[in-house]
Amino acid sequence: MSTNAGPERQSASAPLRVAIIGNPNTGKTTLFNALTGLRQRVGNFAGVTVERVEGAFRTSDGQRIAVLDLPGSYSLSAGSPDEQIALEVLLGRDEAHWRPQVVLVVVDASHLERNLFLASQVCELGLPVVIALNQVDAAAEQGITVDVPELIHELGVPIVPTVASRGEGIEPLKQAILTAATLPAPHRRFALAPEVQGALAPLQARLEQEGFAPSAAAMESLRLLSVDRNEPHLAHIAGLAAQVAGARDALRAVGRAPEQVEAEARYAWIGGVLGRTLTRRKRDRDTFSDRLDAVALHRLGGPLLFLLVMALVFQSVFSWATPLQDAIEAAVMGIGGAVGGLLPEGDLRSLVVDGVFAGVGSVVVFLPQIAILFAFIGVLEQSGYMARAAFLMDRVMRRVGLHGKSFIPMLSGYACAVPGIMATRTIEDPKDRLATIMVVPLMSCSARLPVYTLLIGAFVPALPLIPGLDLQGATMLAMYLLGTLTALAVAAIFRKTLLRGPVRPMILELPPYRLPALRSLAVSVWQRCQLFLRRAGTVILSLSIVLWALATYPRAQVDPSLPEAAQQEQQLAHSVIGRFGRAIEPAVAPLGYDWKIGVSIVASFAAREVFVSTMGTIYGVGGEDDAALQDKLRAEVDAAGAPVYTPLIAVGLMVFYVFALMCISTVAVTVREAGGGRVSWKWAGVQFAYMLALAYGAAWLVLVVGRAMGFAG
Amino acid sequence: MTAPTSRELPQCTCPLVDSEAGSEATVVAIACGEHDACRLRAMGVYEGAQVSVIGKRHCLLVDVRGTRLALGTDLAKGITVRPQGPIAS
Repeated sequence: MSTNAGPERQSASAPLRVAIIGNPNTGKTTLFNALTGLRQRVGNFAGVTVERVEGAFRTSDGQRIAVLDLPGSYSLSAGSPDEQIALEVLLGRDEAHWRPQVVLVVVDASHLERNLFLASQVCELGLPVVIALNQVDAAAEQGITVDVPELIHELGVPIVPTVASRGEGIEPLKQAILTAATLPAPHRRFALAPEVQGALAPLQARLEQEGFAPSAAAMESLRLLSVDRNEPHLAHIAGLAAQVAGARDALRAVGRAPEQVEAEARYAWIGGVLGRTLTRRKRDRDTFSDRLDAVALHRLGGPLLFLLVMALVFQSVFSWATPLQDAIEAAVMGIGGAVGGLLPEGDLRSLVVDGVFAGVGSVVVFLPQIAILFAFIGVLEQSGYMARAAFLMDRVMRRVGLHGKSFIPMLSGYACAVPGIMATRTIEDPKDRLATIMVVPLMSCSARLPVYTLLIGAFVPALPLIPGLDLQGATMLAMYLLGTLTALAVAAIFRKTLLRGPVRPMILELPPYRLPALRSLAVSVWQRCQLFLRRAGTVILSLSIVLWALATYPRAQVDPSLPEAAQQEQQLAHSVIGRFGRAIEPAVAPLGYDWKIGVSIVASFAAREVFVSTMGTIYGVGGEDDAALQDKLRAEVDAAGAPVYTPLIAVGLMVFYVFALMCISTVAVTVREAGGGRVSWKWAGVQFAYMLALAYGAAWLVLVVGRAMGFAG
Repeated sequence: MTAPTSRELPQCTCPLVDSEAGSEATVVAIACGEHDACRLRAMGVYEGAQVSVIGKRHCLLVDVRGTRLALGTDLAKGITVRPQGPIAS
């Protein structure tokens, strides 16, 4: 496919390709959502704007436009994996993605100086550019007025004032994008000092030889002066490092500090432009955000408020979701029963009811929890509080060798490790990032919840401890705390051994507080739910069918005179899963587990919640029927008549699940993310191995210590 | 490390970390590792930028043209500024 399609593409039936880029906290995602609505496609699970999200819309005259939402970036200097992705896409060096025909740069009207730094870099890439001057309302409130026609004249690109959170300026913006596609690409509006230009000339010529357009080569040569990063999109150019070093020496020879040249040139130009286009009324120093920060960042009040917010998040995830989950459960069971009733008795019915509905149903019940947790994360991000939380947590994180920013992936980990690991892309330092990836799966995710719920419900009595908390609740809390504290401890160990190195100092923007844009929030939550459902409909559906088949075949000659439960037991023991279970029984026996638990653990590698549905299949009760399964587990006895499950075994099993990386999706995402975009099995292997060892050791310890203390098990 | 070679160093400078909360200062030099320096410049903290120190905690809270930044103390040690007195209101 052509990488640089010109204006002639516009009338063709192919959609116009547009990429959106902007500084973090400019309302870029809100603008993207306002442009595309629900017509979006996310490549994978995503934290907020860490993933490339594609959308599409039509203009009023029917032209189709495809939009790619690039990660928030302060510059094209590729400091974080996020910025690297944005740069590669804009240069057309990302083979996994199309090169845009138009770039939409979102700038925050109240922070123009900083925002125009990125905009001026983008304007040199050789692509037509449109600027959305966003949040003009907030700027006006702060007494900032921008002379838009004059700014258009200065920058040489179309500029549309917008308020994305209220949908203002969206139609004119769509028109401007169409128009821009027919305009020539903008170019650099300032000249470098002759001695600087002279020093850069050989490097620039070299980049042009390597296929860069002249203006992009000029941008890259200036950018490369400030920092060495061994960027993958330049790695194929032999001897580039020497050439960059040469340019730097040439600059030093004329008395210029090479790392300052780009910032100096761009900010000098921006300063001049803003002097002619921006008027600023003297504003009050004590803004609304300052007053809120007086509490949110207070030495004592800050951490207290933080704990309250976290308590609210957990309370709502676990209690508000319950009625919704019950409703989904009832619906799935109802439909399963109805469909099963239509089918004749036999393998097909068993497949549909015990395989498909039991398997998928046991996973779909988590949808409300995932939706609520992501809604909270979205509110925290959009309101500006997430940055404050990262700021407060930096103190704690730093003690274990992590960065304050690691807090956000770890919080997402409570919902699911997959978006948590993807959210680490905003962490610049590779070792910080790897250490965070290594421990995110220790945060108890929502898929562990059904395992905890099943076992606690069956084996932990509801003894009241203090008002509002009984022994069951306390056990649940203990599991979450165990995972969280271990994550911090393991991070500290990694940072002192395999990933030794200094913690990068904190550089964090604290954006002004804003009311979340509900429409945009709803779109984002819907995205996550869709992804989750897609996974349930594909991976988990196929695994459920496979598991069902493994538990059903080969058919055993069952004795019809036996009770039904015993018949099922015979069948199961004869099946592939049963044989496999017996083979691995010696491995799980030291933990006090029988082969059925062993099989369920192995099967739950597909996804932890599968443990519950597998137990359901094995014990011949629907995957959704917790109470029936709990009764079965309590009644289960071994050959000698002793109970298979005791409270001690149940606690050991929960501890096993706190630590074990029983999740193929997490392994897959670590393989991709730990290598910084390249496939890397090494760290995924380390992660899986250490977590399994930790799980096995801890579960064994629980059993040994418990027995020594006189508990049965 | 890197000192501004193209300009004359002003008479009275100090690390940003030592400036008082509630004071303004002009950035003179950024010497805190090229990666962090590059990031700081992209965020508006460049040689010549005006910064106000709003608060000092485990990190420094500064205002750069209306943008609030939290900067780690280690980083603020590497940023040399020329103090300009208390924040004008």
